[in-house]
Amino acid sequence: MAAVSPQQIARASAALVLALVAGAGMLDAQAVQRKPAGAGPGTKSPTLKSGGAAAAVSSPAAPGQAVYRKQCAACHGGAGEGSRAYQKPLIGDKSVNELSRYIGANMPPGKKKCPPADAAKVAAYIHEAFYSPVAQARNRPPRVELSRLTVRQYRNAVADLIGSFRGGPTLTAERGLRADYYKTRRFRGNERVTQKVDPQIDFDWGKNVPFGDRFDPHQFSIRWDGSVIAPETGEYEFIVQTGHAARLWVNDLRTPLVDAWVKSGNDTEYRSNLFLVGGRAYPIRLEFSKANQGVDDTPKLKDRPVGPARLSLKWRCPKAEPEAIPQRALSTVTLPEAYIAATAFPPDDRSLGYERGSSVSKAWSDATTEAAIDAAGYVARRLTQFIGADEASAERATKARAFCVQFATRAFGRPLTPELESLFVERQLAGAPDLETGVKRTILLVLKSPRFLFREARTAQPDAYDTAARLSFGLWDSIPDAELLRAAGAGELSSREQVLKQADRMLGDLRARSKVRDFFLQWLKVDHHPDLAKDAKAYPGFDSAVANDLRTSLELTLDDVVWSEKSDFRELLLTSKVYLNGRLAKLYGVNLPENAPFQAVSLEESERAGILSHPYILSSFAYLDATSPIHRGVLIARNLLGRVLQPPPIAVSPIAPSLHPGLTTRERVNLQTKPAACSRCHDMINPLGYALERFDAIGRLREQDNGKPVDTRGSYETRSGKVVRFQGARELATFLTQSEEAQAAFVEKFFQYLVKQPIRAYGPEALPQLQKALASDGFSIRRQILESIAVNALSRQG
Amino acid sequence: MSNLRNRREFLRDVGIGSAALPFILNLPGLAAEPPRRKQRLVVVFSPNGVVPTNFWPDEEGPLTTLKESLKPLEALKERTLILHGVCDRVRGDGDNHMRGIGCLLTGIELYPGNVQGGSDTPAGWASGISIDQEIKNFLQKDPATRTRFGSLELGVMVPERADTWTRMSYVGANKPVAPIDNPYQLFARLYGRAKDQQTLKSVMDDLKDDLNKIKSNVGAADRQILEDHATLVREMEKELQTSNLQSIGHAVPKLEPGVRIDNDNMPQLTKLQLDLLVSSFQADFARVATFQFTNSVGMARMRWLGINEGHHDLSHMPDTDSISQEKLTRINQWYCSQLAYLAQRLADTPEPDGHGTMLDNTTILWTNELGKGNSHTLDNIPWVMVGNGLDFKMGRSLKYARQPHNRLLMSIAHSFGHRIDRFGNPDFCGAGPLDRLT
Repeated sequence: MAAVSPQQIARASAALVLALVAGAGMLDAQAVQRKPAGAGPGTKSPTLKSGGAAAAVSSPAAPGQAVYRKQCAACHGGAGEGSRAYQKPLIGDKSVNELSRYIGANMPPGKKKCPPADAAKVAAYIHEAFYSPVAQARNRPPRVELSRLTVRQYRNAVADLIGSFRGGPTLTAERGLRADYYKTRRFRGNERVTQKVDPQIDFDWGKNVPFGDRFDPHQFSIRWDGSVIAPETGEYEFIVQTGHAARLWVNDLRTPLVDAWVKSGNDTEYRSNLFLVGGRAYPIRLEFSKANQGVDDTPKLKDRPVGPARLSLKWRCPKAEPEAIPQRALSTVTLPEAYIAATAFPPDDRSLGYERGSSVSKAWSDATTEAAIDAAGYVARRLTQFIGADEASAERATKARAFCVQFATRAFGRPLTPELESLFVERQLAGAPDLETGVKRTILLVLKSPRFLFREARTAQPDAYDTAARLSFGLWDSIPDAELLRAAGAGELSSREQVLKQADRMLGDLRARSKVRDFFLQWLKVDHHPDLAKDAKAYPGFDSAVANDLRTSLELTLDDVVWSEKSDFRELLLTSKVYLNGRLAKLYGVNLPENAPFQAVSLEESERAGILSHPYILSSFAYLDATSPIHRGVLIARNLLGRVLQPPPIAVSPIAPSLHPGLTTRERVNLQTKPAACSRCHDMINPLGYALERFDAIGRLREQDNGKPVDTRGSYETRSGKVVRFQGARELATFLTQSEEAQAAFVEKFFQYLVKQPIRAYGPEALPQLQKALASDGFSIRRQILESIAVNALSRQG
Repeated sequence: MSNLRNRREFLRDVGIGSAALPFILNLPGLAAEPPRRKQRLVVVFSPNGVVPTNFWPDEEGPLTTLKESLKPLEALKERTLILHGVCDRVRGDGDNHMRGIGCLLTGIELYPGNVQGGSDTPAGWASGISIDQEIKNFLQKDPATRTRFGSLELGVMVPERADTWTRMSYVGANKPVAPIDNPYQLFARLYGRAKDQQTLKSVMDDLKDDLNKIKSNVGAADRQILEDHATLVREMEKELQTSNLQSIGHAVPKLEPGVRIDNDNMPQLTKLQLDLLVSSFQADFARVATFQFTNSVGMARMRWLGINEGHHDLSHMPDTDSISQEKLTRINQWYCSQLAYLAQRLADTPEPDGHGTMLDNTTILWTNELGKGNSHTLDNIPWVMVGNGLDFKMGRSLKYARQPHNRLLMSIAHSFGHRIDRFGNPDFCGAGPLDRLT
């Protein structure tokens, strides 16, 4: 066995500590959700008289509780809620010590005061149980909270708001770019030779002409048009590689993003960055010319030798490696330009497992101001285009006014009252020195107004427009579109059928696809793009390009299952199909041509089962050079089974393999987690992870670990105390598909991700009903989305 | 400062004579050195060469009479310096128009490339930085001379295409800078922030009113987050009130709205651009600027002068075509009058710090990609300087014997205190900065 460098150990333990930190966050979140360790989903909303999960770890409150019950509860109520005699609830923000001194000095009324030792105990108990702000928050029944837009919602909402004033085509299913090939150096209609769709731009034409031998290979030009679909939000790098003239436009079709029309010196690669919002498509145009520019030298060409030509259009997605822009990210339809809110925002709170806008901060407020100024400037610069009347037009002022009314209406998602129209439009236009400034004022005011920035409490009683907003934010994280507003106005959003019909229409949209995919990536805990670096000696050939491909492979699998006809949740956990391209096939022992594009391949059907045994997940939840049954087990316990795990009581570094060279990973993990302090949780975690031990640190099948046959026996004790045993990934996956715990955890997480409110706020029956719907609808994920959205959209909660 | 004194004291204590101090400490002079004055440079470019007989003074020496093309500078004669015989000696790929503009401020060859000129081999971009950017970098390095933008690259009617003929300024090899020729775009860059803050301020009251209305519609449990939001809005208002809109040193200039970017509007566009340039110097936004009229091979049609032909077409007409030569002279005279307008505005504007006028600290350098249009020569490139930003002796005409213009570029840098011993192609720098300028 190769010696392990201290660096590797350091990296490995850093990974563990990171996992622990993440785990701690999870725990807090769960505690706030008032879900004590071990409480099953679907159990009645628990009341935490004893302080909940935190109190289970150490219970200093217990002695205080006894004193409280005996001495205080008669007046203050069993949980500090007060009584007829004394109505004020026991809540406040004193510290434990302050509280203790206060009690010692003042309680109970009368001469004889509480002895200091008892006062301290009572103070500690009530502080933890119901007095402190933290305890209050914990004990508050879950409810639909007024929330500000999340960053994702903000970016989508502003893009859709401004975009709603631009007509234009919508995406079709066709992927690739439209190409026009010209036999000359110019793009002149009568010199066009061919039109076709190119799946991607990655050409090496050599000294040939791409459209037939009978043309002069000295010169040709090509123009590609269409749109590019950004899978996620962030900074993209666009890369054009060519030895000839090329120009690339993305989103803004007036100013090139990459202008390499002048070829100069040895430069053959041109890069430029652009911030894009994910789940949206942007117009793109690429021009190429194999010819000298400037003065036409065509007549002299026949005496010159023919040179070679090549062209690649690549990108580097956020946190990914450069690659030729794949066909699936290109559309032949040229969409209108999109407004991109690129202002940097502080990240949203995700402590509950979904982004939510439960608090505001200075940084957030500044960002919304910055973004509003940017959006106002963007519109003002294109005012003529947006209102459809230029400076000379007599209708300019009228049209600008109409624009402002529409802008506010669409931003707020409901018709303006005369009062609001006067405030948001009349006053702004009248008070400004010129029309552009007036429009800017309306936009600034609208985009800074809580009517736009906040959700879920726009009116005292929710109405059809609230339903429309719940549909659009639920499925798109954005404002309602014209059709939803129309339906709301026409009273066509009142029945369940009407709501479901709209939701079904909306599911086809890119924004819905993107949101759903992002849920699954978060559910699998890979939304943050884990670092997949592996030991080059142990896993030759596993490089950053492979890691990049594996991510793509997982995403293709997710899309494939979720958007297939059946959309079967169980299929996600059971499929033996893995998407491989030529590069991955070589590493995972499948016979495919080197340049083969991604395709679904059946991989080791008997053992490999679903996303948990997808090589990307297996590599992500593993060390540099060894598997990590603990990381894999924690993923399954927390994310798939919905279990609450305490963070380890002590910070632990994993035992380096070199310290026990004879042990398998499983044996080493057993050794490490043997102490009682560890085993309380690891008895659950480890046997879940062991089931995946047939797969090494890059997710390849193996028979042996450290010279011994791998042992894939695993088990799980359900919340009801039943012990389930399984061997290997397929039996584990089969168990998970049948587990009501796993189904409930999935339903809850999915609902909360979509709706961004706690499911228990919708009543105790919401979760069991949605869970039932999942099972009765053939485990259809699509159906589950619609059901979840409908629960929220039709809820009467304001 | 105290650190500096300590180092001085230290050197004195170890016995190094005060004469050696400036060299050791790399200081401009001894302790009593007054603070360096603000120095500015504006390079103005116009295309297609000049009509030599109507341009160059006949003699060396004090400027007495100015030829027709330069007549608009009559009132500023004493502050004008005209250099004849300073030549663009850079050769290599690209035609003379391309090299004319591409090597003008870089002093170095163009890379081979795919831009085909009139006859010579095709070429790409210049292979080095231009002198304006070199000086900008030098000034930006020092906190005492650092400004918000460092440099501004302006233009008038620069065609909307990036190629060797349309770019003069380079931040480095293969890195041309696109001049801004739209005054509204320039305005947004210079003053957009201040304007936005004004607009934002004007909606604050309405924003607060609206917030109060919403608060009353929301249940008690949800009020906290709106309270927090309201607090942040009030904070923003306070910041807006205290943020000093006057910190730019002068009122935000008013821009005549709606001037289209169009050949016939060139006079208005030029005035808007030059006025914004003066404003940005007042605000000390930058110390270096380039101002590019059209482009190399520029095709301005000066119909406002009664000239309907394009400038470049005219510039190819032979010397014997006196009508064309007369038109070309008037075209150059028009460019010169724009130069004079800028110089006069600077002369009429006091330095914000109260020390003299802005022209006392600004040198405008007017140049061209060619010496003469119909011969396409790169010899005798026009170099006309107005103002006293550089420490050159003004009010003169100087004639040199075919000196490479790299030497002049070095002189300009030296005048800024940037003592480079080469700029562009070193083969043209051997003799150092140009003699007789100071």
